[in-house]
Amino acid sequence: MYFLNLSLPQLVALFGAISAVSVALYLLDRSRRKQVVSTLRFWVAAEQPAVAARRRHISQPWSLILQLVSMALLLLALAQLRFGAPAMAGRDHVMVLDTSAWMAARSGNRTLMDIARQNAREYLRAVPARDRVMLVRADALATPATSFEPDHKKVEAAILASRPGSTALNLDQALAFARHVQGQEGRRAGEIAFIGSGRTAERDPGTAAPPRNLRVLLVPDAIENCGLRKIGMRRSATDPDLWEIYVSTHNYGTRARTVTLFADFGPPNVATRAAVGSQALVLPPGGDVETTFQYRTAAAGMLGVKLTPHDAFPADDQAELELPGQPHLAVTVYSDQPDLLRPVLSATPRLTTVYRTPAEYKANDAGLVILDRFIPPQRPAADSIWIDPPAEGSPIEVKKTVENVPFAHWDAGQPVAAGLRSKDFKLDKASVFETAPGDGLIGEVEAGPVIVVRPGKPKIAVLGFHPALSPMRYELAWPLLFANLLRWVSPEIFLRWEVGGGSVGTVKLQVEDNVPVKDVAVTAEDGSPVPFTLRDRTLDFFAGSPGAVRVVAGDREYMYSLTLPQLGDAKWEPPANTHRGIPRFSDVMDRVSDIWPWLALAGAAGLLIEWLLYGRFRMAQFATRTVAERSAESVEVR
Amino acid sequence: MAASPLLDREFLEKLERLTIHWQKSFAGLVGGHNKSRLPGAGQEFLDHRNFHYGDDLRAVNWHAYLRLEKLFLKMFQVEPRVPVRMLVDLSASMTAHGGGKFEYARKLAASLCYVGLVRLDSIEVHGFSNHLGHRIASSGGRHRFPGVMGRLSALAPEGATDYLAVTRELIGSYSQRGLVVIISDFLDDRSCERALQYLADYGHELMLLQIWADEDRVPPWTGELELRDAETGAGLKLDFDDEARRRYTHAFDEYASAIQTMAHRSGGRYAGVSTSQSLESVIFGDLIRVRGIA
Repeated sequence: MYFLNLSLPQLVALFGAISAVSVALYLLDRSRRKQVVSTLRFWVAAEQPAVAARRRHISQPWSLILQLVSMALLLLALAQLRFGAPAMAGRDHVMVLDTSAWMAARSGNRTLMDIARQNAREYLRAVPARDRVMLVRADALATPATSFEPDHKKVEAAILASRPGSTALNLDQALAFARHVQGQEGRRAGEIAFIGSGRTAERDPGTAAPPRNLRVLLVPDAIENCGLRKIGMRRSATDPDLWEIYVSTHNYGTRARTVTLFADFGPPNVATRAAVGSQALVLPPGGDVETTFQYRTAAAGMLGVKLTPHDAFPADDQAELELPGQPHLAVTVYSDQPDLLRPVLSATPRLTTVYRTPAEYKANDAGLVILDRFIPPQRPAADSIWIDPPAEGSPIEVKKTVENVPFAHWDAGQPVAAGLRSKDFKLDKASVFETAPGDGLIGEVEAGPVIVVRPGKPKIAVLGFHPALSPMRYELAWPLLFANLLRWVSPEIFLRWEVGGGSVGTVKLQVEDNVPVKDVAVTAEDGSPVPFTLRDRTLDFFAGSPGAVRVVAGDREYMYSLTLPQLGDAKWEPPANTHRGIPRFSDVMDRVSDIWPWLALAGAAGLLIEWLLYGRFRMAQFATRTVAERSAESVEVR
Repeated sequence: MAASPLLDREFLEKLERLTIHWQKSFAGLVGGHNKSRLPGAGQEFLDHRNFHYGDDLRAVNWHAYLRLEKLFLKMFQVEPRVPVRMLVDLSASMTAHGGGKFEYARKLAASLCYVGLVRLDSIEVHGFSNHLGHRIASSGGRHRFPGVMGRLSALAPEGATDYLAVTRELIGSYSQRGLVVIISDFLDDRSCERALQYLADYGHELMLLQIWADEDRVPPWTGELELRDAETGAGLKLDFDDEARRRYTHAFDEYASAIQTMAHRSGGRYAGVSTSQSLESVIFGDLIRVRGIA
């Protein structure tokens, strides 16, 4: 005889505590009750003799005994009293069901997942009814679908609800998790049953040996599969309208295959897309082939990549990536000498520049307005760059005008002055500005700043001299200064885009520069932030489900379309001494029946009998009966 | 939040058809519901007489003055009726076991007041414990009922019962005999039978309505009890079991029978009412059965 849920000392301690409370409540219930009554005259008539009163101090002992026995029975039911040896008790099994992406592959007219579900149900039927079973779904993460469940129907329902995921199997993590949860439970550990194909991610050679209680129900998967592994796109550094497309394909099978890679671009509707290109590829067994395409477009759209003919695992035969459009900045130049500015503006292809004379000025120009030695009647509503403005109309007050002074230095702390170097040169004439707090001082002479930027809305930059009419025109700093000003005014125009397609799971990204963490943002499709780590210019994040992830790091933006399933390269071979197949458990275990329901029923019946015999029920019944009798008597008297 | 009224309108409508009944003929008064022919303040016209200085101008017949240019005074007949006096027990014993008895007594008194008002009876209600409380006059028709109900609601229980003192005070205050309705638990340690007998001997007709809570008649408790009298504060410790409960109930029933016998012997009526009975069943059942109302 043993207790399943409690040890004997625990049972004794609990029964002692409950008994003490029960006796205390009993004595309290039977203690002298204080009561206010209308009159004492009838009570005096009903009073008991003194001898009888003393004897009644121990009245109704059977009530107490019945209560204690009932409590003991309920406690035994709670402790799950069982006859026999503990070895005959139930065990806890863990079923690790492979729900990796590969389980969606077809074998005949069924998927590997269908076969695995069938195996899992057969295993569950073989498990004795008293054993508890936990179902763990394993892909890149091990996720328990049930707790240790004595009701096998619930486990079966969880098995039937299992679907292939998008990530590759992390077998070591799943087995470690199963071993851990079995160790945490107080009951005897049963088996850890792995049910799946065993195609897993690359395993660490130093991984611990599989547990000794492991049972393997492998799903045969001799399936030939070729698939897309990675897609990368970026705009050409020399031609911003040219996309360079990189596609990596892999042959997971054991035979060489010839496939056709086809790419198209256009709106989401596939039928209206234009072909980008196609190539026939010969994929060696277990090998990769990388292909590149080029496609010229400034428009946004969808890029589709397909691999034909389809195989038994079509999920990795096609992918779609969303390409963002190329943004442009509208620049309006008001100048009588536009040729002075034309070289620096035409050097940047992302600008759409319009040149006008000061007489054609409009205050509502959009984008960026450049005012060359010209004070407009009304300040522009858009961002503006003022070149050598007359002192009486300058947006930043001119402190004084200096002549024939050497240019002192660039303020390297300002982003606009980043990378600017220049030899000593003198300015024939320049305006020195009176700055306000928050203004950025870009270039200075001894008397003060001559190039100032004022952040805000709209942004304003003022140059106290015309660089093209000063010795600075021979310096490299002149186009660089303008490029920096354009980037400062509209940084989003100069974002460099990279679009990548790949599989869900862990994504590693090499960030080009030492971007501070505060300038890095990783967001999912719905705009929610995705956790990431940034270490040694390597950014890592994890995507557990298919979708797009956007990474902004400094002046670069990366778009990840993680729609390809993650497939493992390795095929796990269980050790030779591992148990395999559906087990046959001993029948003797099922013959032992639970008696706790009967104990609980007996305890409840005892409490009910006590209540009927000694409790309030009897009092209430007595009172009702006597009142009814009295009413009948009254009627008769009258 | 305003206190809910003692009786709702639906119940009052049911009471419209009832009448308080008495059996005796009282000296100096017209018994039953017969009217007198005495002039005075009343509702029905009796005669005219000449106007004298000091007469109430409101009673002048101005139509006759316009025709005859003489002042005539209209006279009305007085309608003296048998006085109904209702004594409601306000002692502390009425508040025992949750105060259900006191609440019930007030509702019963309000119901009888309404029955009397509908029939233009004159009812005087007194609360009492060890003395007679202030009079609540209830007469003049049903439209006076809200005021009566308000004053009944304002009654508060206090003190111990002293039937002898109350009887002396009642006889001293009212020489005119009539119907005396007593709504009480009659749980007086000094026995109320003698005081009630005095009232009957004086010439009053008694209608005794004894109210008890179920706990008063069949105490539900068992075991060792420490009891305290709600009125006197006296204590008693005892063991109480089924046998003792049987003796208690027997003693209570004997006491109730004694009051009932006394009432019947003196030509009065008695009804015992448990607070667990509905007020409607008591009025339309028990009180009609004992011919207290019809």
